[in-house]
Amino acid sequence: MHTHMIVLASIMGPELGLFFWTALIFLIFFFLLRRFAWKPILSALNAREASIEASLSEAKAAKEEMAKLKADNEALLKEARVERDKIIQDANAMADRIVKEARDAAAEAGAKERDKAKQQIEAEKLSALAEIKDTAASLAVEVAEKILRAQFEDPKAQEAFARKVIADLNQN
Amino acid sequence: MSVPKLLIFILLIFGSSTAFAQHEEEKFDAAGTILHHILDTHDWHITDIPTGTDAEGHATYTPIALHLPWFFYSSRDGFTFASGTESLLEKGYVPYHEGLYPLKAGVSVAEHMDDHGHLEIHMEEEAFKEAYVDEAVTVIDLSLTKTSLQMILIGLLLLFVFRGVAKAYQRREGQAPKGFQGAMEVVIIFIRDEVARPYLGDKAMVFLPYLLTLFFFIWFANLFGLMPFNSNIAGNISVTSALAVLTFIIIQVNGTKDYWRHIFNTPGVPWWLKFGIPIMPIVEVIGIFTKPFALAVRLFANITAGHFMVLGLVSLIFIMSNAGENVAGGLGIMPISVLFSLVIFALEMIVAIVQPFIFTLLTAVFVGMAMESHDDHH
Repeated sequence: MHTHMIVLASIMGPELGLFFWTALIFLIFFFLLRRFAWKPILSALNAREASIEASLSEAKAAKEEMAKLKADNEALLKEARVERDKIIQDANAMADRIVKEARDAAAEAGAKERDKAKQQIEAEKLSALAEIKDTAASLAVEVAEKILRAQFEDPKAQEAFARKVIADLNQN
Repeated sequence: MSVPKLLIFILLIFGSSTAFAQHEEEKFDAAGTILHHILDTHDWHITDIPTGTDAEGHATYTPIALHLPWFFYSSRDGFTFASGTESLLEKGYVPYHEGLYPLKAGVSVAEHMDDHGHLEIHMEEEAFKEAYVDEAVTVIDLSLTKTSLQMILIGLLLLFVFRGVAKAYQRREGQAPKGFQGAMEVVIIFIRDEVARPYLGDKAMVFLPYLLTLFFFIWFANLFGLMPFNSNIAGNISVTSALAVLTFIIIQVNGTKDYWRHIFNTPGVPWWLKFGIPIMPIVEVIGIFTKPFALAVRLFANITAGHFMVLGLVSLIFIMSNAGENVAGGLGIMPISVLFSLVIFALEMIVAIVQPFIFTLLTAVFVGMAMESHDDHH
């Protein structure tokens, strides 16, 4: 019983030697661990956390950029669609116009050609008519000459006629 | 220490001691075995291997043990070094119950030597002191004991393990942690984010290496303490006191003006309680010492209680078998002892990590409180 109490007392009561060694050993290993383990580990942890944070914010920025790009693309696409519609519309209008112009030009050219032909025909007609008149006139003169020559070959007939004409004139 | 643990503590010491006193020499001495088992020693005794019997028919053993040298200060001889018991006796000192005593001039303890040169003094303390001890000489034992040696080994292990972890961070820079590195990282980050940062704020990174060393040192020590052949480090009041004193020094060194004002001129307290009848300063000054005292006792008591429980349960086998006389009794209690020890071991595994956590957390809390500025109130 008594020896137990001695042992118990030595459990309960601090021993200076062990106290001293504990403090010394603990402090030595604290400085060693701080230098060779905790500082590199904690700085590596900090560096990794910083890089994760940076990566996350980068990813967020990229996502925003992406959304912006997408919106831009959509706007561009919409614009392009409007542009396309306009171009098609313009092209259609232009085609219509060209066709119409061509049609008009063709019609005009036709009309011109027709007028020209008409004028030519008229001119041909006129010249033909004039020629007919000339021919008819010279024929008539020739016939008349021939008739007159045949009628006035007898000088007595000539005299009789002359007298008759004078007589007519006198009557007037 | 919780109430059930305290009860077992008392029962083990006094219950078994009474039994021992009634049947000296006959019964298995459970309390003595347990107390000696958890005590710091100058020998790292692993086991004894039976080598047969001697001429008189007694069993002989070869001990597997490491005998650590003695180193002490004595008011007679100054700092003294002795390689073993023989050397100690030559220099005039005698080991008794793990203590070291100066021998009176002209006396010899040779009669307590056995045939193998072992010194076994079976005397009560007062009789021993009266017969042999020179009371005029003061001796301070500074030997590197089993516990100190084990602490050095644990320190080296910590250094080896965490140097490896630090190297893993350098080798796998910018990559996710892997294996043991990952397992330790969880604990390191837990101490940083749940212990250091909430209580120490901006100064967290300054104290973090200390807190990490404290936590892992106590944790590893506790785990080793649960294994056979190892020393019960944190179940030793000298060890926990040293750690608590370091915390105490850190608290006082980092105490702000407000911290000291709170102690000697507590705001919000009537003046006559401070200067007339100085109750408040006395209470506050006591408070400075109770904080580390509680730290030391809490850790020591929890670890010691766990060891007592396991050792007590194992001792049951020897008590029931009547120190080998009644084998059936021993075999009968054995399954219960083993099962209960397993449960206690599982509990102690949790205690082994919870206690260093509490020690570290409270260190952070106390240092944080001492560094706090109270400009915003009072």
